[in-house]
Amino acid sequence: MWSVIVLLTGPVLAGLLSLVIHRARVLHVVNFSTMLALAVAETALTRQVLAEGSVTTLGGFVYVDALSDFILVIITAIGLSCSLYMWSYMDDRVARGVIAPKRLGHFFFLFHMFLFAMVAATMANSLGVQWVALEGTTLATTFLIAFFRRRESLEAGWKYLILCSVGIALALFGVVLTYYSSVRVLGDASSALNMTALIGVANQLDPNVLKLAFIFMLVGYGTKVGLVPMHTWLPDAYSEAPAPIAAMLAGVLETVAVYTVLRSKALVDQALPPEFTGNLLLTFGLLSFIVASLFILIQHNYKRLFAYSSIEHMGLAMIGFGVGGMIGTFGGLFHLLNHAVAKALAFFVAGNIHRRFDTLEIDGVRGLARAQPITAVAILVAGCALVGLPPFSPFVSELLIVSAVAAQDFSSDTMHVGRFVTMTISDEMRSLGIVALFLFFAVVLFGGFMFRVGAMVWGTPPAGIAQGESWTAGHVSLMIMIVALLGLGFVLPEPIQMLLTRAVNVIVVR
Amino acid sequence: MSASTQLGSQLVDLCSVLLLLCCFAIVAQRRLSACVDLFALQSAFLAATAALVAFLTGHKHIYFAAALTIVIKVIVLPRILRKVIERLNVSRELGMNINIPAGLLICGALVIVAFFITQPIIPLGYLLTRDSLAIALAIILIGFFTMIARQKAITQMVGFLVMENGVFLGATAAAYGMPLIVELGVFFDVLVAGLIVGIYTHRLQDTFDSVDTSTLTVLKE
Repeated sequence: MWSVIVLLTGPVLAGLLSLVIHRARVLHVVNFSTMLALAVAETALTRQVLAEGSVTTLGGFVYVDALSDFILVIITAIGLSCSLYMWSYMDDRVARGVIAPKRLGHFFFLFHMFLFAMVAATMANSLGVQWVALEGTTLATTFLIAFFRRRESLEAGWKYLILCSVGIALALFGVVLTYYSSVRVLGDASSALNMTALIGVANQLDPNVLKLAFIFMLVGYGTKVGLVPMHTWLPDAYSEAPAPIAAMLAGVLETVAVYTVLRSKALVDQALPPEFTGNLLLTFGLLSFIVASLFILIQHNYKRLFAYSSIEHMGLAMIGFGVGGMIGTFGGLFHLLNHAVAKALAFFVAGNIHRRFDTLEIDGVRGLARAQPITAVAILVAGCALVGLPPFSPFVSELLIVSAVAAQDFSSDTMHVGRFVTMTISDEMRSLGIVALFLFFAVVLFGGFMFRVGAMVWGTPPAGIAQGESWTAGHVSLMIMIVALLGLGFVLPEPIQMLLTRAVNVIVVR
Repeated sequence: MSASTQLGSQLVDLCSVLLLLCCFAIVAQRRLSACVDLFALQSAFLAATAALVAFLTGHKHIYFAAALTIVIKVIVLPRILRKVIERLNVSRELGMNINIPAGLLICGALVIVAFFITQPIIPLGYLLTRDSLAIALAIILIGFFTMIARQKAITQMVGFLVMENGVFLGATAAAYGMPLIVELGVFFDVLVAGLIVGIYTHRLQDTFDSVDTSTLTVLKE
């Protein structure tokens, strides 16, 4: 109970405080201590969820089960390391006159509103409130993306606002359709959009309405996830946003958007055979994976490179959820965590490089190993992790997803991707076809990504670039994330494993 | 079906069709201020539909939604948008991605598509409002189309607001309104979105000397 209240009110209070505080140091202390409080509250909530299964409080408005708790773990963990990183990053931006000192308060206000909207979207019991909160994240982040007020950032912020608002308006129609079908069964109750009420009656809902509802929600929330072909805002937004915000967008916001898709999938799967949602997710996932890996080949801007890698990883997670089953879903969820850590690390690194080299062009960055040795290690780790090399944790989750695809048991009377790839061959060949396609583009991606990263790390730095690097608060969070990526590759701590297994049981319908 | 239900159902249909007509008028209109006025008119029809449904079904909370529609979508948002237009250096939209006759034809096709998509689920609906669901989807699709066809930031925002109106008509028609907390939240989001667009057009005007989104071409592959 208290942990839920802390998680919801903490960001709001911190945001309002940020508007009245003017000293940078105090702002950072408030920000960091809020994130610390959120992390503590989240730990307590996790204990409660593991003990009781699910938590419903605040008059039924808040519903936290293993799935939403797992997403909350990601939000608070990445948020905490982000606040450490912002300490050095934002001070540096102010010192160099990129932003006026008095705007620092606005930055933290928007940041905490963003955080609040994400926490609310994850905890909301009602699908409608979840939608409201997710649209809230769009509204809070558009000015964060355009925070530097350059031409490009204004353009990116505008595109983001318009595309995501439109996408999410379509999702609202999906929510309306869900309500249309549920209010029939539950009667005219104000609880007819609540997950707690829907779960019990989901198998009585009308399948035709739910089909249409799921398509609208997938397209709408999929825009927020950045699935191809609704991804066009994403590289612009990530490359123009300040580095910590890009890290939060890529690591956390995408995860929350995936969570909303999973919620609707869990609902629809009770009324329809899981192949319906599964094949849609598989199609979008595979398409995103392939298109993103091709675009990675032609990138010359390192932040855009990481942005396309985000699309690719979300596609990968969607493939996992699309294949479904225990292994695929477990792999997909675990991949969300690994991607969040690796991608946040990558964008922190991008922020460090940008501050030293003052360019976003990959060609302008040479000899990182000499200029910024710590950052060079971090970008190598992030690069290896993002292309799925062992011993880093994304390797484990990708392996789980691939083996789930290979072992998938296609039922032949439903429409699926496999039919386009291999028309008349048996089921085993069809899943092997997808695996082959997947592995081929994984190799393309590996080459493209590591070539770019390698080009930045080795060589001699351009003239006029200072060499050597001193430790700041930001470097501490880099180290923590490197350790996390390595550690999760070898051992999955008991509580996280339990949380993941229970979250899988929320999604997979038997 | 009793005579009063039949009359009520026809009145609701009439109101929904008026909303749809406003959509076509917006697609056919070049003047920015007229687009905003038409949006306000459409919102007024939406409020009328909601009030009618509330009256016929006795669901009191829909009156509340109708009142909020009048305050936010008929008065506040159009006023914000008109203020923005006053500051701009253009009042008419000259370049369009798709010209008006072709646009109107496409919109006609979209209405057919909307009826086609919703056909299997319409029989589930309440007798009073069953056809409005198809019209709601048509309005959403036309709003979406407006955003694609137009280049000015203001008309793109109007397109978005038209989509929202469509969703609200759908909610009122299909399920006699959504839970109150959700409706409040959606209104709040729409209002904030309107304010943000106002600020954005201001900054775009200052930075690019235009609110034509076709000038936003720096970022691409």
